[in-house]
Amino acid sequence: MLQTSSYSLVLTLQFLLLFYDLFVNSFSELLRMAPVIQLVLFIIQDIAILFNVIIIFLMFFNTFVFQAGLVNLLFHKFKGTIVLSAAYLALSIFFHIWVMNLRWKNSNNFVWTDGLQALFVFQRLVAVLYYYFYKRTAVHLGDPRFYQDSLWLRKEFAHVHS
Amino acid sequence: MTSGIQDEIPLGHSKRKKAKGINSLDSIVPAAVRQPFERRDPLSPEAQDIATQRKRKKKKLLPESETSFTKQNGNGLDPQPVEEILTRKPRKKVKKTRAAENANELGVEEEDIIEEEQVRSSEQHPVFSAPVGVSQPISKVFVEKNRRFQAADRNDLIKTTENIDLFLDVKASWTTKDVALSVHHGFRVVGLFTHGFLAGYAVWNIIVIYVLAGNQRSAASNLLEQYKTLAYPAQSLLYLLLAICTVSAFDRIDLAKASLALRSFLTLDPAAIASLLYFAALVLSLSQQMTGDRINLYTPPSENGSLWTSGAEEKILQPWIVVNLVVALLVGLSWLFLSYRPQLDHSEELFNAEIEDYPPLEKEAQIS
Repeated sequence: MLQTSSYSLVLTLQFLLLFYDLFVNSFSELLRMAPVIQLVLFIIQDIAILFNVIIIFLMFFNTFVFQAGLVNLLFHKFKGTIVLSAAYLALSIFFHIWVMNLRWKNSNNFVWTDGLQALFVFQRLVAVLYYYFYKRTAVHLGDPRFYQDSLWLRKEFAHVHS
Repeated sequence: MTSGIQDEIPLGHSKRKKAKGINSLDSIVPAAVRQPFERRDPLSPEAQDIATQRKRKKKKLLPESETSFTKQNGNGLDPQPVEEILTRKPRKKVKKTRAAENANELGVEEEDIIEEEQVRSSEQHPVFSAPVGVSQPISKVFVEKNRRFQAADRNDLIKTTENIDLFLDVKASWTTKDVALSVHHGFRVVGLFTHGFLAGYAVWNIIVIYVLAGNQRSAASNLLEQYKTLAYPAQSLLYLLLAICTVSAFDRIDLAKASLALRSFLTLDPAAIASLLYFAALVLSLSQQMTGDRINLYTPPSENGSLWTSGAEEKILQPWIVVNLVVALLVGLSWLFLSYRPQLDHSEELFNAEIEDYPPLEKEAQIS
């Protein structure tokens, strides 16, 4: 069974990482006095996304549903989060590489092209969807139903095996 | 075992035989087991009465048996280890049997009557129980604090323990579901504040732009000159607020449940409309990133390396101002829709319903 204190701690960590991500997405364009500042911010942001993905998977592994062998059920229920997290990580890394490549020589250059603008819009939109799905998943994983045997789980189990 | 112990006892062979002959060991054992009780509890009134009765009778009849009893009662206040008692039992029993034997010789049956009384008294109490005395409640209780025992008032102590129990109860009832729900509620409150703040901010932003642009937007260069320091901070803040508001609006319609979200859209649920408007505002705001950076890097067209050419300012600024106006309208409308039903939250409803629909198996078993 999931302990309340450990769940609170994990939830706090997840929200901190999410908030850092939102902060960098919002203000990274402002903090470009030197290219290295943006580089460090972007590297930490990508690591934060990766950490969040690892944490959510560890939470999945901790559930009774996963331990009962119903991995598919869990992944089906949270496929939105998994897909969006992966997409957001890929988009972020791609965008960061592109922008840093263009701004490395001079951070105050006007670097925008249509392609970069499109990628920027996609990355920022997927970011918002990722925040929503990730937050929802993190909060829903506090549901005691995932950590104990229940009628719901039996029904799902029977449904999978029939 | 008792026979083994008996072998160790230095008694005459003939006497042992006699004891075996007259009183078998089976009849001796209950009396032997009784002895610790008598010795342990000399102060209880019943036992004392019995002892005095016995003394009186034996004074008359048996000087030998009296000595055996005085031996037993002499150590009454000093409880001995059980092992010692057990090892000593047989000797005393033999002495007793001897006393009984003598009594029979004299033709007196009173010893048996005493035995019955003793049996009754032993039946009333458990054999190896601690001494039964009436406890005397005192107002002071000694509590160990900082490796020292300190006197504390009993009533105070009871109060504090009750408080601790209450605290533990509250702690125990705080489950992960409660944590999740409190986080959800917390975010909803933050969202509610952000909706209003964003609406106000967007209106302020568009007012500033229109004031700087002047009548018929003739003062484009003035707007660029004044607004260039504000452009990027405003854009960043707008994205931050829009992101929080969009997530909050999605939370209200529970977007992850596609069927439910679609139904909300079709039935023109205020939260669904608001989230749609927020998303549109977000897309529009993000699409102006390039222009925003251009404004941020504004230098007069006369300067070398300027991004702006003379005469093109209005052409670039016109759509940007319109988009900002639309964003402000969308955000304001969303705020109105959401404040129409501020308590609406489909995520929370589902979160509660899912748990209640499927109770754990243990609870079900108890109910059935």
